[in-house]
Amino acid sequence: MSSQVAIPEKSVISATGRLLATRSRKRRIRGSSIAVFVFLCMCAAFVAIPLYVVIVTSFKPIEEITLGHIFALPVSWTITPWYKAWNSMCTGLSCDGIKTGFFTSLEILFPSLILSIALSSVTGYALALWNVRWAGTFLFVLFICAFVPFQIIMIPLILVIANLGLFGTVWGIAIVHAILTMPLLTLIFRNFYKDIPRELINAAIMDSGSFWLIFRKIILPMSANIMVVVLILMITTVWNDYLVGLTFGGISAEPMTVILANAVVTSRGEVIHNVNMAAAIITAIPPLVVYFALGRFFVQGITAGAIKG
Amino acid sequence: MRIRWSRLAPQLALTPALAVTLVGFVWAIGWTIYMSFTRSRRFPDYEIDPAGWLSQYQRLFDNDAWETSLRNLVVLAIGSALAIVLGFILAAMVEREEFGEGVFRTIFLYPLAVSLIVTGLVWRWMFNPSLGIEAFLHQLGWTSAQFNWLATPETAMYGIILASIWHGLGFYMALMLAGLKSINTEIWSAARIDGVGIWRLYTGVIIPMMKFTFLTCAILLSLGVVKAYDIVVAMTNGGPGTSTWTPAYFAINAYSTRSNIGFASAAAVIMLLITLAIFLPLVLITAWQARRREAAGT
Repeated sequence: MSSQVAIPEKSVISATGRLLATRSRKRRIRGSSIAVFVFLCMCAAFVAIPLYVVIVTSFKPIEEITLGHIFALPVSWTITPWYKAWNSMCTGLSCDGIKTGFFTSLEILFPSLILSIALSSVTGYALALWNVRWAGTFLFVLFICAFVPFQIIMIPLILVIANLGLFGTVWGIAIVHAILTMPLLTLIFRNFYKDIPRELINAAIMDSGSFWLIFRKIILPMSANIMVVVLILMITTVWNDYLVGLTFGGISAEPMTVILANAVVTSRGEVIHNVNMAAAIITAIPPLVVYFALGRFFVQGITAGAIKG
Repeated sequence: MRIRWSRLAPQLALTPALAVTLVGFVWAIGWTIYMSFTRSRRFPDYEIDPAGWLSQYQRLFDNDAWETSLRNLVVLAIGSALAIVLGFILAAMVEREEFGEGVFRTIFLYPLAVSLIVTGLVWRWMFNPSLGIEAFLHQLGWTSAQFNWLATPETAMYGIILASIWHGLGFYMALMLAGLKSINTEIWSAARIDGVGIWRLYTGVIIPMMKFTFLTCAILLSLGVVKAYDIVVAMTNGGPGTSTWTPAYFAINAYSTRSNIGFASAAAVIMLLITLAIFLPLVLITAWQARRREAAGT
């Protein structure tokens, strides 16, 4: 409060004040900046080192790994672990590598994206721009649903999916993903669409535009930004999902994360570290590519997923 | 005719979402709550025994592994809260210093794109006693160094906490950065003119101004902790023994390994109650912020 009262007086001198401030700030940066920079670098190392270690390990022959020089670069580089991880790694019963999981994950990803984005964008559009009865109540219910733990709806959903004959299929998993992500995505779309000026929609309605026509001709072309954000959010969520794939995939539709966890965590066979690390990287590559290619949108997507409710 | 149709179309367009909400959430939650009162085992049993309708909950709270799970939940929540504190410090540093903001942000955020399964496997590798960091420290000559946290029940949880912090740090930093950027720039210059020290500025002005960002972070963190499952599977698979079980792990295990629907449902209902207890403040904040925004708008 007090600062708010004080600001009007100071706004007169704020221009000079800022000049002074930048000058003194520069001096202060010199004093403390080394400490701050070192601290930031240490934290960055903490975050970056695991990725470095995994990449390095995946290129080492197994004899070099047993020496225990975890941070050393490979003396003789090899891509055999990558080849083995892709083609012949043992996961549970079969030894086909993780390539089957990679393609299953892709087969899950596309129907999930289409189902969830189609469902939530239309719902968000209807809730944001049309006078729908009980819209407020519905939004509140969605807000709560977005945070419900998966375990509370898991068993009945398994029964429903099994009754539909979709248990253990990629479509079953895709439907569950669409259900789970619908509340959050709807809220994100609704928050984006509600800022579209009402006059635009009213004019479109006067111009004999119907609900679907307006959606297709006006709303969708305006949605490029939010679509990218939602796509990134969905790709990382679906690709990195483990629990839904585990509980709905059965043994016939195991996504990559499940195959990877089977191979490394639950299998009792010989542990081949470099192959495991190569498999871990291959699993992590698709979302990492999305992250490094579209970093700015990625941050938006994650934070939108978190707080926009 | 056309006007009528345009009124009906939006309602019709909502029916799929309404059906998903009613079946996928409302009915499903009700079903699970109902099942927790029955003696269902492998298959659902719809009969409720009036005398023993709480028996699943009694068994649940008599179960040692459940007690461990609840304790681990608290430990994990307190431990991972370090990610919020560190996230704020990093955000403040990155925001103040002009150099390398983009580089640091890219580095701190990339773990978010990595799945928790991969995160767990990577850290499992780092914790490997004969080949990982411990071996490295021993080779340096520090032979008493202990970094084999995942092997002993007392320290295994700390290993999971470390991996969770690694994974979530960038996320909280991003939220804090957004919070810091929304602070009026006048405050920085006003504070400087008044000669307020950096420490006083942050503890006395900035942190109180960002209390809602902190609260949002805390709630999101707690909700994430309640859901902690993947990371446990990937790092310890619950072990050693049951020392790293969490409620989420317990519920899944009761269903998939013990094939006990009633028992799993009871655990899931407790998870829901915990979530609601955390969630209520978030609802109140959102309502409060919406009202404040409206007041500011008018």
